[in-house]
Amino acid sequence: MAEIYEEGDESMDVNNEAEVKTELGKEGGDENVLQFLDSLDGYLTLMDSLNSKLREGWFDLASARHSMGTLRINSTLLDLKYHPAASTLQVTDQDVESLGSVPHFALSKWASKGGSRKGKDLSTDTDSEIGSPLSPQLRHRGFSEEKPSAKDETILVADEEIKKERAKSLSVFGGLVSPKLRGAQLSFETALETLVEIANMRASMLSAFERITEK
Amino acid sequence: MYGFEALTFNIHGGYLEAIVRGHRAGLLTTADYNNLSQCENLDDIKMHLSATKYGSYLQNEPSPLHTTTIVEKCTLKLVDDYKHMLCQATEPMSTFLEYIRYGHMIDNVVLIVTGTLHERDVQELIEKCHPLGMFDSIATLAVAQNMRELYRLVLVDTPLAPYFSECLTSEDLDDMNIEIMRNTLYKAYLEDFYKFCQKLGGATAEIMSDLLAFEADRRAVNITINSIGTELTREDRKKLYSNFGLLYPYGHEELAICEDIDQVRGVMEKYPPYQAIFSKMSYGESQMLDKAFYEEEVRRLCLAFEQQFHYAVFFAYMRLREQEIRNLMWISECVAQNQKSRIHDSVVYMF
Repeated sequence: MAEIYEEGDESMDVNNEAEVKTELGKEGGDENVLQFLDSLDGYLTLMDSLNSKLREGWFDLASARHSMGTLRINSTLLDLKYHPAASTLQVTDQDVESLGSVPHFALSKWASKGGSRKGKDLSTDTDSEIGSPLSPQLRHRGFSEEKPSAKDETILVADEEIKKERAKSLSVFGGLVSPKLRGAQLSFETALETLVEIANMRASMLSAFERITEK
Repeated sequence: MYGFEALTFNIHGGYLEAIVRGHRAGLLTTADYNNLSQCENLDDIKMHLSATKYGSYLQNEPSPLHTTTIVEKCTLKLVDDYKHMLCQATEPMSTFLEYIRYGHMIDNVVLIVTGTLHERDVQELIEKCHPLGMFDSIATLAVAQNMRELYRLVLVDTPLAPYFSECLTSEDLDDMNIEIMRNTLYKAYLEDFYKFCQKLGGATAEIMSDLLAFEADRRAVNITINSIGTELTREDRKKLYSNFGLLYPYGHEELAICEDIDQVRGVMEKYPPYQAIFSKMSYGESQMLDKAFYEEEVRRLCLAFEQQFHYAVFFAYMRLREQEIRNLMWISECVAQNQKSRIHDSVVYMF
């Protein structure tokens, strides 16, 4: 009986092992599918957001032309002099644990002339305080005696630099432009960030899809 | 003597006043705008406009149409009407009509100078100029490096020459200097036009003073709002305000130190005619300000036609046509961008 039991134990162990492997394989496959579906959902949401931002940008541009006049906002005023790009894009290969090597896109906005980068990677640092001075901070009861930290000062300086770069790029239409034109600029800037996020989301989506089809 | 224009005005101005009142009757009505708002594409707009005075100007334009094409062709209609009136006018009406062009000349000068600074082709820039603001030596503007050269080489022989006295410097032209030049020239032009109308006297002086004062005040508000957050100092901003108008001088003192739209509102609400304009907007909002100002301007321009025997009807007609062209541009943009629900955000109805 014990012998039979032992033989049964071995076969049961083998069966259990196979079952566990199958279960793990299924879980791994389910995880990849879930990852793919999450990426797809994120991709579709970002596409919708991009469409909305672009519509807003074009509409604000039309409003600015209506306000300032067609003579002040038209393509013949765009600067043909040589000047460095206001924003640059870097493409690197990143190793992600479950997805392997995935191309990663990083946007540097408002890079200064001369090649020195004052911009930041906004595609990954979406929660960063730079560029969002209204980000939530801890509330202190009573009067706070803390001095502004070096990081806060750096953030303020970076904000001022970005504001100057924005004003400089709009100055092709004149020194005094309508707030609607500035609104259009912000909309297109956000659309550019969304595009980079879409590229990253698409890369992870395609990578997840490849892993599913491999199995 | 005011009140006796009926005795003599028609001798020299009767025909042209009749012409301009006929043109006024051809302006688009609310029904026309409602029909245009229901168009699905720009070809539909062209079809609807074919039944109006713009029909002959748009009929030969090939599809697909662009909004800039519609604006250009409608502007040609305005230019033809103006030229017909100008060639029939005698003094002092002809000088009055010439004054209407000077604003467009200033815009064209700034366009050429700015485009040249950005290394654009002069021919390309001239094609974009407003036809009412063209003059013979306009292409030579591309040669000037600073305002002194601009004046000496080109503008000394144009009607804009007297307006340059306040902005003659040897500083090189850059985007902010050009902007200051634009506003300084326009300020000088408005003040000169105002003085000319005062000299004419009678109903022309009374109605044009009101219209030009409103224009000066509106420009002051726009300069203030557009300069918030820029490098333009308070002193420089104040220098760009005209020396007449309801806001002159105390309103200007307060506007010069405004740092946001709510402070501008606080200043303007002290003046009853502008309180009504700002009451239409909520706090912190400036989107509807343009429309509110345009509506007030159209109301005043339409009132100019209630009196006879004065020149202000010509100014009012030109401005109403320009507003109509702005409306058509806006409707075309909304239709082209599939944003028809936003058409009524900026269309200003006249009749």
